[in-house]
Amino acid sequence: MKVPVAWLRDYVDLPANADEIVARLAALGFPVDEVETRPQLTNVVVGRIAKLERHPNADRLQLCTIDIGRDETLLIATAATNVAQGQTVPVALIGAELAGGLKIAPRKMRGIDSQGMLISAEEIGLPGEWFEDGIMQLEATMPLGTDVVAHFGLTDPVLDVDVTPNRPDALSIVGLARELAASFGVALRVPDSEVEYEGDSDDARVTIETVDCKRFVYQRVEGIDVRPAQAGMRIRLALAGQRPINNVVDISNFVMLEAGQPLHFFDWDRVGGKHLIVRDAHDRERFTTLDGQERTLDVCAIVIADEEGPTSLAGIMGGQRSEVEPSTTQLLVEAASWTGPRIRRVSGALKLRTEASTRFEKSLSPALADVGAARAAYLLAREGGRVRRPRAAGQPVPDPAPIGLLAGEVQRLLGFELTTEEIERALAALGFVTQREPDRLIVRAPYWRGDIAIAADLIEEVARMVGYDHVRAEVPGTASQDIDSAEFDRETELATTLAGLGYTEVVSLSLQPGNVAERWRANGIAIDEPVEITNPLSDDQRWMRFSIAPALLEFAARDRAVRPYRVFELGHVFAQGEPPQETVQLTALHAGGPSAFGRLKSDVLALLRRATGVEARVERGVFPSLHPGKTAALRIGDRVVGYAGVLDPRLAHAYDVADTTALATILVEALPPYVTPRYVAPSKFPPVERDLAVVVPLDVLAGDLSDAVREEPLVRSATVFDEYRGPQVGDGKKSLAVRIILQSAQATLTDQEADAALARIVAALRKRFGAEPRA
Amino acid sequence: MSGMDSLESTLAALAARFDDALAGAANAHALDEVRVAFLGRSGEVTAVRRGIGTLPPAERPTAGKVINAAVEAMEAKLAAARTRLESAALERSLEDSIDVSFPGPAANIGAIHPVRRTAIDVARYFTRHGFAVVLGPEIETDANNFDALNIPPDHPAREGLDSFYLRPDLVLRTHTSPMQVRSMRKHGPPIAIIVPGKAYRRDAIDARHLYMFHQVEGLMVGRGIHFGHLKGMLLGLFRELFGPWADVRFRPSFFPFTEPSAEFDVKCPACDGQGGTCRTCGGSGWIELGGSGMVHPNVLRAVGYDPDEVTGWAFGCGLERIAMKRHDMNDIRAFVENAPGFAAGLA
Ligand SMILES: [Zn+2]
Repeated sequence: MKVPVAWLRDYVDLPANADEIVARLAALGFPVDEVETRPQLTNVVVGRIAKLERHPNADRLQLCTIDIGRDETLLIATAATNVAQGQTVPVALIGAELAGGLKIAPRKMRGIDSQGMLISAEEIGLPGEWFEDGIMQLEATMPLGTDVVAHFGLTDPVLDVDVTPNRPDALSIVGLARELAASFGVALRVPDSEVEYEGDSDDARVTIETVDCKRFVYQRVEGIDVRPAQAGMRIRLALAGQRPINNVVDISNFVMLEAGQPLHFFDWDRVGGKHLIVRDAHDRERFTTLDGQERTLDVCAIVIADEEGPTSLAGIMGGQRSEVEPSTTQLLVEAASWTGPRIRRVSGALKLRTEASTRFEKSLSPALADVGAARAAYLLAREGGRVRRPRAAGQPVPDPAPIGLLAGEVQRLLGFELTTEEIERALAALGFVTQREPDRLIVRAPYWRGDIAIAADLIEEVARMVGYDHVRAEVPGTASQDIDSAEFDRETELATTLAGLGYTEVVSLSLQPGNVAERWRANGIAIDEPVEITNPLSDDQRWMRFSIAPALLEFAARDRAVRPYRVFELGHVFAQGEPPQETVQLTALHAGGPSAFGRLKSDVLALLRRATGVEARVERGVFPSLHPGKTAALRIGDRVVGYAGVLDPRLAHAYDVADTTALATILVEALPPYVTPRYVAPSKFPPVERDLAVVVPLDVLAGDLSDAVREEPLVRSATVFDEYRGPQVGDGKKSLAVRIILQSAQATLTDQEADAALARIVAALRKRFGAEPRA
Repeated sequence: MSGMDSLESTLAALAARFDDALAGAANAHALDEVRVAFLGRSGEVTAVRRGIGTLPPAERPTAGKVINAAVEAMEAKLAAARTRLESAALERSLEDSIDVSFPGPAANIGAIHPVRRTAIDVARYFTRHGFAVVLGPEIETDANNFDALNIPPDHPAREGLDSFYLRPDLVLRTHTSPMQVRSMRKHGPPIAIIVPGKAYRRDAIDARHLYMFHQVEGLMVGRGIHFGHLKGMLLGLFRELFGPWADVRFRPSFFPFTEPSAEFDVKCPACDGQGGTCRTCGGSGWIELGGSGMVHPNVLRAVGYDPDEVTGWAFGCGLERIAMKRHDMNDIRAFVENAPGFAAGLA
C-alpha cells in the first residue's frame, strides 16, 4: 500500500523523520518495500490573482498581479490559458526550486520583469495528466503566503508498505498512523465525522437476502455539486497513487484509503424503485461493471440489485448503470461489510481484483462500515451536501469477545517477564481494553482488530509494543526424543561418497513438458504414466518427472565439451497411481573416457558397499533407459537395489550423446539398512597366487564364475581379469581368466595343497558351467 | 728372505694396488669389480692364500692370520668406500629439481550441490543440539499442507502460497511445514526436528524465484520452550554458517501456523549492517532469511498435543537463499542450470 508520509502526519505528530518511520513500521510488522523520494521543492506560496492584463508585447502572455499576503504584490507573466482574476494559485517565488530541477530566477519576458512563476501540478512533482491543464487551482480559503510545499507535505516521501493479510485494518492511513502513534507514545487525531443530519434515509429501502452481507449502512445525501475536489484531497490521492476524478468519487476513494472502508455511491435518481436488494447472483446473470466490461456471474457472486436488476457487484466493483456522473445531485452512500472468503472466491473467479475486494476479502470489521459512512457524510457535507441520518441493515455490530490472558502466559511464550502494568500499557496503546482479575487479565480487542482471537494473539501485540528485540537469545536444553535421521544420513552418505568418486551433483526442475515422455515413448522406451499438474503455469511445467535420466542426458548433451562427464542427481520421481507414487532415486551418468560403463559400475558398487556395508551382486537386468543387453541389476539380499548399464542406443541417438554413455540408478528406499561388517583377522601366512583360464559357454557371467570360485574355502579372492573370444576357443564359447589368491589362516600352503585346491575349483566349475581348463 | 717376509711384501704390494683400484672406482659397479678382482673366489687374495702351501708347516698358521688381517682391512676399506659413494650419490640427487608447476593428470573432481552442502551444514548444527533430521514426500495432502497448519480454505494466506494441484486434495507441498504435522502425529512431545527438502510454488522463474526450491523447516515443542530459544538457535545457526559476527533480529509478521510470528533477518555480511548503498542487502543492513514463530495452539491441537502443557517454535527458510548469501550469488537460476564447474567451484 502506498502511504504518503505527509498523509500519516495529518493524524499523528510523529517525532521522527522518514527513515525512523520506516524502521519503526518494520519493527511493528509492516515492512516498507520501497521509499519513493519526492523532488526537492522550495519557495512556493499561495497567491491570488488580483489583476490580470494583456502583456503589451506578446499576444500569448498575460501579466498577473499576484497578492501573496505581503505589502508588495508580484508581477508575473504567464502563458497559461486557465488563469482568471480572483483565482488562488501556487506561486513560485524568485529562488524557488521545482520538480525536474527547475530553478526560478528573475527574468525578462518580452521586456517586462517577471517576479516568479505560476505553476502547474506537474511542477510540484504530481502526475500532470491527473490534474487540470495549466495552473493548479487552490481553495480561496487558503491564507495567502502559505508555504505550499510544507502545507501539503510535498517533499515527504511515499512509502510502499507491506501489510500482512491478517491486518486489513492497517490497509489504511489511519490504521498505520494508529500503530505509529501507539509505538511512539503520541496521540492519534481521529478524523472528524461530526455532522448535522437533515432528516432520515428512510426513503431508501434495503433488503438483505444473503448471510454473507454482514452489515449494510446506507445514507442519503442531497444537494451534491459534482466538481473537482479540494487541492489537499487531490494531492493526497495522487501521492497515494489514486487518480483524482471529482469531489464525489474522490471522497469515496479518500475514505477507503484513509479509514480502510471501501464505499459505494449510487446516483440516487437512477436507483430503480428506490429499493436495493442484496442477493446472490443468478446463474449466468449478466452485468456491466463501471469499467465498461460486461461480466457473466454465477451464484457465487453477490449483487446489489435495484428493481431493474443488478446495479453493483458487492464488495468488488460498482455498476455502470447507477454510477456517479457530472449531473448527479443525490446520492445513496453504501458502506457494507462482507464475508471475506466469499468476496475472495468471487474476485478470484472473475479475475477482478480491486482496492475494495483486496480489503473486503480479508474480512473487515462490520463496525468499520458505520465509521466509513460517517466520515464520507462529513466530507460530502463539507462539499455542500445535505446529509440524512444513516440507517443500517444486516446484523448488529457484535461486541468483542473477552479473552483471558493468564498471568505468566507472556513469559511462557516469550521467555521474558513483564509486569501486569507493562502488559496493560502495551495493550491500551493499541486500543485494547483490559480488566484485572486475580490470576489473569480480561482483554477486549478494539472493533478494528478482527484478527485477535486468543491469548497468543494478545502476546504478539504485547511483544510488538515492547519490541521483538527484547526477546533474549537462549539455547534450549537438548530434547530427549526417539526420532532418527536415517533417511537424511543415507542421502548424505550417498551424495558425499559419489562426489568423492568424482561425480558432480546436479539439481534439475521436477516439472517437465509433455514432450519428454513422448520422446521416450517414440523411441520405444516403456515408462510409467507421468503425473499431471492440473494447474500448471505453462505447458513446459505440466508433468512431474518420471525419471531423473532425461535431465542428466540433456546436461550431457549441452556440456558435450566436457569429457569425461560424471554427474548425478538424488531426488524424487513420480508415477501415476492411487495415490500418485513418489520414490527416491539416485541416477548417475558417466559419459566419455575409456569404459564408461565399467567405471560407473565399479563406482556404484563401491557406493553400495559404503552405504550398506555389504557387496552387491551383479546380475543381468532390464531397466528403461538402459540397453536391454547391457544392463546389470544390482542385488543385495533378495532385493534389486539398482541398475547400471549402457544407455539405450535409441536414447543416445535421440539426445545426441555417445552410445557408450553409461547410466546407473539406485532405488534409495530399497537399500537395506547398513550392516556393520565383522572383523576378519588377516592371515599370518603368505598367500599363493594362481591364474586359471577356463573355456565356458558365452552366456556364463564372469560374476557367477568368480562367485563359484570363491566357494572353495581356501580362496581369499577371485577376480576375472580377461575374456577371450575367437578361433582358439571355438563358436559359442569364450575363455575367462581368473586370478585366484589362496591363503590359509592356519599354515603356509604347500604347492601340493594349492594344486589340490585348484583341482577342486576346476571340478566345481566343470560341473556348474561345463567349464574346461584352457591349456 | 724368509717365506714370511716374502708373503708380507706381497700383501703390502697387493694392498697398495687395492688402494689404487679403490680410489679409481667411481660407482657401486666399479667397487664390485674391485672386490671381485681382489677378494673374489678367483681373486688375487685367493692366489696368495694358495701360496701358503709352499711355506714350512710351522709358519702356515701365522701366514693364515696375516692374510686374514689383510683381507679384513681391505673389506673395511671397501665398506668405507661404498658408504662414501652412496652418500655422494644422495648428495647429488638432492641437487635434482623438477617443474613442480607442470600440470599432473586431471583429478577426478566431484562435488555435492551447494544446496545440499548448505542443508548438511544446517543439519550438523541442529543434530549437535539433539535435533533429528527428517525428510518427507513432495506430494502432500491439502489437509496437511494447509488445514492442519491453521490455513482453512479461503484463508487469505493461501494466496501467497499459490500451489500446484494434482487433484483437488493433493498438492505439491508449498513449504516443508506439513512435515511438522506428520512428525508430531507420530512422535512426542517433546520433539525437535529439522526438515530440509523441496517445496513448490506457482511462481514465474526469474533471478529471485524458482517454482521449485528448497527449504529447511525447524520445529521444537516441549515443556518450557519459548521464543528466546528460537532466537538462540537461529543466532547459533547463522554464526556457524556466516561467521561469529552474525546477528539475528526478529520482526513481527503473520503466518497462520505461528503466534506470535516473526520474520528473521541476519545482519548483512557485506556492509556489517551499515546499509547505505550496499547491494547485498539493498541498503537496509539486514537480509531477510525466513519466517518463524511460536507454534499456533490450533496446530498443536490438530496433532493431538495439549497447548496448555507444551509450547514450541517453528521456523522455515530457503536453502537457496542461505546458499546465495554464503556464496555471494545474485541469480537463483544458477542452482538448476548446473553449469560445468558450478558445484565444484562452490564446494
Ligand atoms: Zn549490506
